Amino acid sequence: MSDAVIDQKTIAIETERYHHFITLALWLAAITGVEIVLIFLPVAPVVILGVLALLSAIKFFAVILWFMHLIYDARLLFWLFFAGLALAFATFTAVMVLFSSDRIDTKWFS
Amino acid sequence: MSHDTHHAPVASKLDLAPERSDLGLYRPDRTTGLLDWLTTVDHKKIGILYGAFAMFYFLVGGVEALAIRTQLARPDQAVVTARMYNQLFTMHGTTMIFLGVMPLSAAFFNFLVPLQIGARDVAFPRLNAFSLWAFVFGAFVLNASWLFEFGHLAGWFDGFAWHQALTYTDFAPANGWFSYAPLSGTFGQANAALQSPRFTGVGTDFWIIGIQILGVASLAASFNFICTILNMRAKGMTMMRLPVFTWMTLVTSFLIILAFPAITVALIELMFDRQFGANFFNPSAGGQPVLWQHLFWIFGHPEVYILVLPAMGIVSEILPTFSGKALFGYPIIVFSGAVIGFLGFAVWSHHMFTTGLGPVPTAAFSLLTMAIAVPTGVKIFNWLGTIWGGRVRFTPPMVLALGFIWMFMCGGFSGVMHSSAPADSQQQDSYFVIAHFHYVLLGGVLLGLMAGLYFWFPKIFGRMPNATIAYIGSGLVILGFNLAFGPMHYLGLAGMPRRTHTYHAGNGWEQWNLVATIGAYILGIGVCIVFGNLVWTALKGKKCSNDPWDGRTLEWSLPSPVPEYNFAQSPVVGARDAFTEHKHGSKRIAYENDGGDAGVHMPSQSWMPMLAAAGFLFIGFGMPMMSMGVPHAGWIVITGVGVLIAGIWFWAVEGPGGYMLKTPVEGPAPADRPSAATSAH
Amino acid sequence: MSQDAAHHAPTSTGIDHKKLIMWLFLASDCMFFGTLISTHLLYRKLYPTGFTDAEGHQQFVQKLFNIELTSFSTFILLMSSFLMALAVSAMHKGELKSFRRNVLGVIFFGLIFLGCQVYEFTHFYHQGLTIQNSVLGSTFYVLTGTHGTHVAIGILWLVLMYFYSFTGKLGGHVGALDVEVAGLYWHFVDIVWIIIFTAVYLVEYLGPSGIWGNGLPTIAK
Repeated sequence: MSDAVIDQKTIAIETERYHHFITLALWLAAITGVEIVLIFLPVAPVVILGVLALLSAIKFFAVILWFMHLIYDARLLFWLFFAGLALAFATFTAVMVLFSSDRIDTKWFS
Repeated sequence: MSHDTHHAPVASKLDLAPERSDLGLYRPDRTTGLLDWLTTVDHKKIGILYGAFAMFYFLVGGVEALAIRTQLARPDQAVVTARMYNQLFTMHGTTMIFLGVMPLSAAFFNFLVPLQIGARDVAFPRLNAFSLWAFVFGAFVLNASWLFEFGHLAGWFDGFAWHQALTYTDFAPANGWFSYAPLSGTFGQANAALQSPRFTGVGTDFWIIGIQILGVASLAASFNFICTILNMRAKGMTMMRLPVFTWMTLVTSFLIILAFPAITVALIELMFDRQFGANFFNPSAGGQPVLWQHLFWIFGHPEVYILVLPAMGIVSEILPTFSGKALFGYPIIVFSGAVIGFLGFAVWSHHMFTTGLGPVPTAAFSLLTMAIAVPTGVKIFNWLGTIWGGRVRFTPPMVLALGFIWMFMCGGFSGVMHSSAPADSQQQDSYFVIAHFHYVLLGGVLLGLMAGLYFWFPKIFGRMPNATIAYIGSGLVILGFNLAFGPMHYLGLAGMPRRTHTYHAGNGWEQWNLVATIGAYILGIGVCIVFGNLVWTALKGKKCSNDPWDGRTLEWSLPSPVPEYNFAQSPVVGARDAFTEHKHGSKRIAYENDGGDAGVHMPSQSWMPMLAAAGFLFIGFGMPMMSMGVPHAGWIVITGVGVLIAGIWFWAVEGPGGYMLKTPVEGPAPADRPSAATSAH
Repeated sequence: MSQDAAHHAPTSTGIDHKKLIMWLFLASDCMFFGTLISTHLLYRKLYPTGFTDAEGHQQFVQKLFNIELTSFSTFILLMSSFLMALAVSAMHKGELKSFRRNVLGVIFFGLIFLGCQVYEFTHFYHQGLTIQNSVLGSTFYVLTGTHGTHVAIGILWLVLMYFYSFTGKLGGHVGALDVEVAGLYWHFVDIVWIIIFTAVYLVEYLGPSGIWGNGLPTIAK
């Protein structure tokens, strides 16, 4: 297959994806706007934190799956990336739990 | 993927017309001799270079060890100063782990993996070369600290202003191979008594930057190997038909890419503390030194599995070959390897049982550590099941592999003793720990790697090491190491602490320390015999056939030494242990219609990986020089970054190149074969 | 199922080498940023009241931050990610001019983001947060600085790619793949920022003195 010629099928696929990208970009901007408004609302912080985490996760996976093409690519790539992500999340959650403040003397500093 | 193969297929690379890359420079494809070795992208040559450097650094680490043991042979000695002693045990550990075992494992990965999967090279040949040269330069930076130290001790620097201004004059690292904060860090700006905010001298900076460079080398190589193993398997080579050594390479590579980032960040944070006054580990500003321990061991524990899994893979190849039987429970052995790798990330705080984590974390890590003994035990039973009922041949590799099983088990027993936190509270920082990890590293990893050397030397060099000398050398190694480290179990339980440069008489330690030192010297003699024997064999040993051991995997089907292109035609495999099936079973290896006069694609050689890696030399020396107070040293670091970027840019622009090499093919004449133009590379 | 697989060289998985190695690198980079982010977060947990500056005044992080500026730079980075996706798409279609336009956009927005970071750092420095005077300074500047360095490397990569596109050698399947791989890196840098924005900036505004210092009195400013 000659490298220089791009076939019609590719062009059709890419044109369709182009419209997805625009839609996605607008949603990402909107979600970010919602987050910024959210933090100033007089609701219990823990609740807002939960919503923020959820929204961030949505943005995160939206970029991975569509901008980074993972939803169109082989499954293996998703699982390889997810392995790194999951390990990082688990390990550092454990580290955070290990550093509970009742074990650290914080009287000296603020 | 396009490649600029402008040439018709040639019979030898010396027949190529000179070709310029897109950079306008001639590609070094036609070089021979030293230039060929310096620009090589051939995984086999890269493997040999890794192996040669590794064996050299093993000897360096061994000398450091003998100095330690000489100092400790009798109580209250002053063979070396306390400071030199600290430098010796630090460099011994760092050298053996990062410059000895890891590169020797890398040598095996490089040489064997493409052959075992039926490929002609790795996925990214130039990246492979980059890993090698980054390792070489990183190793040099780390050991250059010794050169500075000796220069200082000899008084060469006394006349220089920067030397006179130094608060500390220890040039070689002396904080242990784990370099705990706060000793390796700072205590903030507020101290008026000492000019430097740091507790230690430039040695720590050499350690930091040396390990950082070596980390980059390991990471690059691991990305390459995962890609190679997943993507470049021959037809029919499914994942569950892969040789176990290749599987262990895959698991080890995943461990490296996921564990090294933690140490990379920890080193960056420590470097910022030392160079720019940050407070990550500075107690007087609220930094938590125990964070260093966490980050280090999040890397450090997977690191020890990185060290041992390749050796387990080697043993899993050797045992079936010399038992004349297939590996018992192949899927379970593969699965156990993966489980060990995964669980290895969950146990790091067992190095920190005495830091006051609290009862719940301590119990959790204790349980997980005990759990990791299970898949390891499963592997051992499977190995025993392999030997059981087989026709065992006690060749040198087999003797060493059997030694691995036994000695590694001993190390495992002392390890499971550590996993009990109450028991560990006595054992921590005592010689019991030293006994444990030397049993798994020497009795385990070293014996496994030596077994691999004896096993695959005939394939690498086409020459067979002398068996008698091999038995004698191996015997001395096993005897010496047991004499050296066996007594340390007792010494540890009797209370002798680690990392102390001497001890007083009257504790009951004298006798066993002397035995340990004698053992260490016997071990040293054994290692010299083994290495000397191997080097002599490589140069002048007796030639042997392609398959002297009746091997089971694809590499044994190739000529010894292996030709540049590996396989004259790409193999198509139909079973696990494909070569044994081919020779003694029903499923013969088929061959694809590539090669022959149409040639196979060979990657072009290049200077760029080495050029890019040379940037690390500047960075490696520049950063410690910043600590030394050498003026404008920061510019040296920046130059290094520039060289690295320039090297990568040239590497990208020159393009992969490549040429077509004819391979000898038996069978019908080219004209009679269907078109040899197979899928493009 | 993947349309993209048909274009790739015959690898055992059907995935191109360069794409596979980039995803492996990104998996590894997750551990890298995970370490940096968790260092910052655990020190926030330990010292919820913020930091004490060089003059001995206690400062709350919420008062230090300028959420408008950071929101703006976050938008900019998101938009740069969008333009990157368009650039990749253009390259797949073989539209070199469109590719160049979009890549210039990515570079431009990336530079704006970096400019905002520099401005922010300078602003915080003048308000009393330095690397040397507190743990917060150390963790914050090193975390966001490392992210900024990743952005700078991405910009350098794209600039070189932009100029290389004029040599005529960037094109076809290989060119599209190379651009896509650069795009993967750029998008990853963006999603790391998504996490940093939430975990480092936004959570400081929850409650009177941020999620860490919840319940503590605010200081009059």
